[in-house]
Amino acid sequence: MKLENKSPGSSRREFLKSSSQVAAATTLVAASAQHVHAAEDNTIRVALVGCGGRGTGAALNALSVENGPIQLVALADVFEKNLRSTHTSLSKHKRVGSKVDVPEERQFIGFDGYKKAIDCLRPGDVVIFATPPGFRWVHYTYAIEKGLNVFMEKPVTIDAPTSARMLEINKKALDKNLKVGVGLMCRHCKVRQELFDRIQNGEIGDVSLLRAYRMAGPTASAAVPPNTTDLSELQYQIKNFHGFLWLSGGAVSDFLIHNIDEACWMKNDWPVRVHSVGGRHYRGDMIDQNFDSYGMEYTFADGAKLLVDGRTIAGCKQEFASYAHGSKGLAVISSASHTPAESRIYDGHNMDKDKLLWDWPEREENPYQLEWDDLIAAIRNDTPYNEVERGVMASAVTSMGRMAAHTGQEITLEQFMSHDHEFAPNIADLTLDSESPLQANADGRYSIPMPGLVKKREYL
Amino acid sequence: MLSTPQSRLFLPTAAALCVAFAPLFATADNAVLEVPDAVATTEAEMKPYAEPIEHTELAIEMVPIKGGTFTMGTPESEADRNEDEGPQREVTVDPFWMGKYEITWDQYDVWSEQMDQRRRQMLSIPATPRDELVDGISKPTEPYTDMSFGMGKERYPAISMTQHAARTFCKWLSAKTGRYYRLPTEAEWEYAARAGTQTAYSFGDDPDQLDDYAWYFDNSEDAYHEVGQKKPNPWGLYDMHGNVAEWVLDQYVADFYSQNPKIKNPLAIPSTLYPRIVRGGGWDDDPDMLRSGVREGSSEEWKEQDPQLPQSIWYLTDAQGVGFRVVRPLVEPTADEKANKWDKTAPVQLDPEE
Repeated sequence: MKLENKSPGSSRREFLKSSSQVAAATTLVAASAQHVHAAEDNTIRVALVGCGGRGTGAALNALSVENGPIQLVALADVFEKNLRSTHTSLSKHKRVGSKVDVPEERQFIGFDGYKKAIDCLRPGDVVIFATPPGFRWVHYTYAIEKGLNVFMEKPVTIDAPTSARMLEINKKALDKNLKVGVGLMCRHCKVRQELFDRIQNGEIGDVSLLRAYRMAGPTASAAVPPNTTDLSELQYQIKNFHGFLWLSGGAVSDFLIHNIDEACWMKNDWPVRVHSVGGRHYRGDMIDQNFDSYGMEYTFADGAKLLVDGRTIAGCKQEFASYAHGSKGLAVISSASHTPAESRIYDGHNMDKDKLLWDWPEREENPYQLEWDDLIAAIRNDTPYNEVERGVMASAVTSMGRMAAHTGQEITLEQFMSHDHEFAPNIADLTLDSESPLQANADGRYSIPMPGLVKKREYL
Repeated sequence: MLSTPQSRLFLPTAAALCVAFAPLFATADNAVLEVPDAVATTEAEMKPYAEPIEHTELAIEMVPIKGGTFTMGTPESEADRNEDEGPQREVTVDPFWMGKYEITWDQYDVWSEQMDQRRRQMLSIPATPRDELVDGISKPTEPYTDMSFGMGKERYPAISMTQHAARTFCKWLSAKTGRYYRLPTEAEWEYAARAGTQTAYSFGDDPDQLDDYAWYFDNSEDAYHEVGQKKPNPWGLYDMHGNVAEWVLDQYVADFYSQNPKIKNPLAIPSTLYPRIVRGGGWDDDPDMLRSGVREGSSEEWKEQDPQLPQSIWYLTDAQGVGFRVVRPLVEPTADEKANKWDKTAPVQLDPEE
């Protein structure tokens, strides 16, 4: 149930049917910010690597930051259609179209497109990584070498070895003072930030239980039908990347990371161990590697628990929200989807509107825009800004929960971080003609997790 | 959240069983699901009926609406009247059946999530000619989020769909049943909402009575409610005022009424994506937006929080107070009439090429 204590003209109503308020990208940067960026001119150039829907959305957010000139200059993808569609959407966009300058010679198709797109930038510019996350460490390595600032979509890793590797790679970015944003946009939400402060100040008491849910129907490409297209096995897997662990970490990594991350944020800690349940039920002839339901129990160092439920079965109860319970009461971290969060605090553990202690009275700003406002401000003002470590930890903790479900074993964070199963060791060398790191068996099916039968790795 | 079962939204089990084995009734060359009460050739023969959704326990309850002539639009004396609600004009509409309730999530998901086909396949029931037909109708791309936004599913009204999605649902329902369903025209909607009245609401002019008839900003507690909880209008239609605003077929044309002071079966065939019309107001609206005559146009802002580009042709992430109900005309139009009027819309809506 939702609250009714909204005063007329309150955020929700304006949010739902705003007739004239376009969420203008406003920044908190003082108008007098010094432009330390790029000696000869202060235009920030942007390259987009990975022209899917979210990558294109991220580029739009980037071009919507209004604290100085910014321009999209290069695009890269393995599918020409994606690239064309992105170019059309952005160059014809009525608000940012004028900031798009990507002639054909700066449009790159292929697995090496990231290098060519990055080579169009100068040190201090920004590259956006929005390909399936399996490629993230490869792309990031090159961006650091070239001295670029980076925005990378979540998750940033999908298995244990690349999580450890990413932390190592990032040391060079810290040394070079590169500004790196990670697409856990909820961290940039002002409402959640205030909630965090309130929880740290003890307003709900000692936090002993957190709950996170993303239970929806079938989502994105989590369920993958057999390949009846003329795409190669590799291309087909990339197109349906949520279905394959080497590319995306599957439904768990892609869908649950936000709710797991915001719960850990509010607890102000990462869990030390996890055990999970999960299974495949209505799979029909689907060829992906996902379970359709997951339940995870994470434990923090102080013994507090985080319970996570994920489900992609049609027709079942749906909930997409996160909660924190403390000795004094309940905090709603987020209510439905990611935005608006409608974070609030109750006395006691029921969402009883008479016991409401705090909520956010104004319209919430869009966190997908705020994460860009913050990153570009840091670049222009040359303030330290690197979200990779928390991005890796959120990714690793999420993967660890998935691994516990897929193996049927309890796993500690320490065990996970030293685990040696790298899903796609040759990912840096893939070309359009390569065989996929994941090969179908004689029946055209892919190896799936076998909890209890296969314990040392998530799939054979 | 548990709720009292509303048996009237479900078929009795015996009927459901018959429906599950509908091949008994449908011959191979006849793709119409037999429902005796749905058969009528004259207005006098029209009865209320429940349209079963084959391979599920669900049904859509339909109410006969006699044809007639009414005064469309709002008198200048009406409080909160907008300019586009006039000039009043004389409109004639042909008879039709109209959904007693807004389309619910349970009903909507049969199409959007193929619940009927999933179940049929699990039970190894062979496909009927109707199953073959619906196979060719597009369905929404999988969403990234819970499109009920935590407000509840099942018997709550489906929301946040584009007009294209609502139209495609109707196309699917027509193939699935063998009977022609579509969205109401703006004129049919207002005719049915007024139900013979000339007042601001179908119960009079006093917004203080709204609590008995409608869910709106002051009583909805910031969410929609299960359909059919409030009093119906004089013609037995529920939630015409409030709960969710309802899509109609028309393009929003501000001066549409002045173009024809007297007209039969009017329709402003859409030629642009925005604005198109929703009617009746929703749970997040004030009383003035629930009036029978009020007209609301859609806008691009209804997609604001969709983080993808290009944005989806199926979802309006921010139109959480927008749904629809279906109608079925007594006389099914010819293929030409459908192509040139009833089903005509532009621009063509296509998902990005795979």
